[in-house]
Amino acid sequence: MAAVLDPPIPPEDVEKIVPVVEALEAAFRPLQRSLPHDADVWTGPAE
Amino acid sequence: MTILESAATLRAKKISSAELVEGSLKRIAAANSELNAFITVLEGSARKQAAAMDAELASGMDRGPLHGIPFAHKDLVQTKGVRTTAGSKIFADFIPEEDAQVASKLNHAGAVLVGKTALHELAYGITSNNPHYGAVRNPWDFKRIPGGSSGGSGAAVAAGLVPFATGTDTGGSIRIPASYCGTVGLKPTYERVSRRGVLPLSLTFDHVGPMTRTVRDAAVVFHAMVDNPSGYIPPAQVDIRGMRIGLPENFYFERLDLEVAGAVRTAVQTAAALGARIVDVRVPDIAALNVVGRMLQLPEATAVYRRYLERRSDFGADVLALLDQGRLISGADYLDAQRLRRIFVAEFAKLWEQVD
Repeated sequence: MAAVLDPPIPPEDVEKIVPVVEALEAAFRPLQRSLPHDADVWTGPAE
Repeated sequence: MTILESAATLRAKKISSAELVEGSLKRIAAANSELNAFITVLEGSARKQAAAMDAELASGMDRGPLHGIPFAHKDLVQTKGVRTTAGSKIFADFIPEEDAQVASKLNHAGAVLVGKTALHELAYGITSNNPHYGAVRNPWDFKRIPGGSSGGSGAAVAAGLVPFATGTDTGGSIRIPASYCGTVGLKPTYERVSRRGVLPLSLTFDHVGPMTRTVRDAAVVFHAMVDNPSGYIPPAQVDIRGMRIGLPENFYFERLDLEVAGAVRTAVQTAAALGARIVDVRVPDIAALNVVGRMLQLPEATAVYRRYLERRSDFGADVLALLDQGRLISGADYLDAQRLRRIFVAEFAKLWEQVD
C-alpha cells in the first residue's frame, strides 16, 4: 500500500512506520470485532 | 499578580495597562533566550494597544476583567497581520488575513497580545522540542521539557511572562504542559470554544482553552473565549460539602510516580475533610480508548496536511512519521473507530452521572 501512495513514502521510511501501524492494527482488531452490528458512528457532541 | 488582582489594581488607577504590558515585555526579553517560549514578540503593537486600553478606561469604557491585561496566543491561533507558524517550516511566512474567532473574542475583551508562543511542530507531539524554532525549556528546570504541544504557553505562564495564554488540546496538549509546568490548563467541552481560525491538527479532536496561574483566572479567560458565558467565577473559598468527587480505581494510579500519587491522595483527603463525598469509580478501558483515539487522530491529521507531503524535508522526523502512518489507516478502520468512539462516549456519560 505504501508503495502506491502519491506522493510515495520512501522505502527507508516505510520500514520504520509499517511495524508501528501493524502493532496499532493488531491492538485495534479485537475492539473492532467486539462492535455490535448496529453500532453507529460518532457524529459530534450534540448527539 | 493574578488577572483579577491586576484588573482591580488597574481600576484603582494604581497601575496602567501600559505598565503591565511593559513589565511583560521586559520579562520576555530577559527570559526568552533561555526559555524559547515565544516565536514572535509584538513590542510595537502591544504598546500601542495598551495605550488604547488605558485611554478607554480613562474615558469610562470598561471591557471587563481582561481589559488591558497582557497575554499570548499559541502560535497555532491565526492572528490578522501577525505571522502564524504552527511551529512549522511550512507556515514560516504565513500571515493570516483574519483573526481566529478566539483571537477576535480576546481582542474584543481588551486583552493585549504581546506575542505568539512556541509549540511542538504542528501541535503534533508532547515535547515542544521543535526542529525549526528550537526546544522550549521548562522554567522550573531548563534541562527538562515543558510538555506539549502548548509548551511555550505553559512555560510563559509558569515563568510569569504573561498572566495567561491560549492553548490547544487534541490528545493532551493543554493538560500535559499545564501539568509539567505547574499551571492551570483547562480543556473545555468539545466545541465550547470555537476552533474557527485555529490551524487544525485533528478534525474531530481539537479543543481550544486557557492556560493560567490560578483556577479563578482560568474561569475569567474561559468566559471571554466563549459564546453565552455563564459568568461564573469560583469564589476564593468554595463550599464543596456534599459534592461527589470520583476517584478512579483503575488505570490512573497504576504507573504513577509515588510522589505524584501521594499529592493526589492528600488532595483527596483535603476534599473529604472539607465535606466532599469521595466516590470510587471505574473508568472505561483507557488503553483501548487510546488505541481507538490513535486510529482516529492519525488519518485526521494526515487529511489536513497531506497536501504538503511532497515537501518531506520541511517536516521534523517525528511529525513526518506520524503523517505517513496516517496514510496507512484504511477508511473502514477509521469508521469503525468512530463507531467505537460513540460507545466510549456513552460509557463516560454514565460515569459522569455518578460524580459532580
